[in-house]
Amino acid sequence: SNTLRPYLNAVRSTLTAAMCLDNFASQIVEKHNVPEIEAGNTKEVLLNPLVVSRNENEQVLIESSINSVRVSIKIKQADDIERILAHKFTRFLMMRAESFVILRRVPIKGYDISFLITNFHTEQMYKHKLVDFIIEFMEEVDKEISEMKLSLNARARIVAETYLSQFV
Amino acid sequence: MILLEPNSYVLEETLLARFNSEKHEVVDITLVDFDNVIYHVQTQAEQRNLLTLGVEMKYFNEVVQYGANDILQREYGPYLSASASGQYQITLQFDLDALPEDKAGLAKHVSLLKRNILASPFVRAFEYWESQQEGAGPLMATHYREDEAIYVQAHQDRVTVIFSTLFREEVDRVLGKVFLQEFVDARRQASIQNAPQVFYSSREAPLEIRHLPGLKQDESVGYVSFVLFPRHFADADAREQTISQIQLFRDYLHYHIKCAKAYMHSRMRTRVSSFLKVINRAKPDRTTAASEKRTATGRYFRPQFRQASASPQQGGEGEW
Repeated sequence: SNTLRPYLNAVRSTLTAAMCLDNFASQIVEKHNVPEIEAGNTKEVLLNPLVVSRNENEQVLIESSINSVRVSIKIKQADDIERILAHKFTRFLMMRAESFVILRRVPIKGYDISFLITNFHTEQMYKHKLVDFIIEFMEEVDKEISEMKLSLNARARIVAETYLSQFV
Repeated sequence: MILLEPNSYVLEETLLARFNSEKHEVVDITLVDFDNVIYHVQTQAEQRNLLTLGVEMKYFNEVVQYGANDILQREYGPYLSASASGQYQITLQFDLDALPEDKAGLAKHVSLLKRNILASPFVRAFEYWESQQEGAGPLMATHYREDEAIYVQAHQDRVTVIFSTLFREEVDRVLGKVFLQEFVDARRQASIQNAPQVFYSSREAPLEIRHLPGLKQDESVGYVSFVLFPRHFADADAREQTISQIQLFRDYLHYHIKCAKAYMHSRMRTRVSSFLKVINRAKPDRTTAASEKRTATGRYFRPQFRQASASPQQGGEGEW
């Protein structure tokens, strides 16, 4: 609909701005290097979190710090079946978090899936491609869930018809 | 293969292999069928020509009251034998040297054993309707699975069949609701307007059986009622077809729920691999030649991006 493009553009520009990451050795433990947004003890390197919301069911929370960014997405789930599909899908992805590199194994409370991007990732991968990936991910997930729901309904209709047409 | 077959294909194949084999081997095979029915095909070492088929069907005692023994006698009379052990409710014995000409037909007939036994409450309900007695017939319950049952009741102008089915998982429950809603709505289609009417309720039992003791009425249980009209069982062919199909309803539903889950799983796999491709595009690819540039004296360049695997450095630092 007409709010999708502005929503995705807002997320894209916020992410591009938030992903200016630098190496930061831990100030608490010598020789340690942790993503500061996850540790959360050095207050001065944490930036203000930002929520970009399309409506109350679709939001993106972007929390950033000096060496890491955490992006949490809330997927649109209108009814029971969409809720189950979204839950299965995100669980499927999160179990494969290792191959995805930037995916977090557990989502932040209140959201469906979370990404953690550190300065090491931005050094190894192109920043604009990372942002592209997240935006494409948001679009694809919605499309996939509505496609799965449609195919489920079509399958149910065929199953019912085949069974009942035997009795005629 | 959308529809399930009423006969047990594996039993038919096994029996046919035994019937057709030249020498009588000693066998001891256990097979399973839908709804916790177990078949045991065996031969004793001493009498190799006698093939025993033991059928374990825990609900047999229930269907005996609806006339199952008559059906058993009529269909498989010459092969019935007394049960050797208490485990098998029905035992059939075949003399491999004295089989009828049509061995394939016999094998197929035996593989329909479960279907014929479970047909007894339906047959009795249809006979009640034929006798045109006043009022509703007796309510016949068959607990063919743990926690699940079929209830059949004949009326003057219709026969009602109620299934109680258990959905153990939340996902199954939601998918089951989607499927059953389609069953209820299917009659809108012109081509199947004459199909039986289907009703579905997710927790409460329908009025006809609400008075029964021990009914499960919680989140995980669903009740599906079929209303069969006289056109479905008035003439003999339609009757047989109806009985074969209606028995398998619960298995058919759960089979398709599982197929739907498997399909979603394979779709998610494809989607995940396409995401992986996208994210791999984010990594700049480096050929080995470009990543290990050396000067004439043998010092290496360190590339701009830090590499996953460290390249050997011989004192050269910083970029040139």
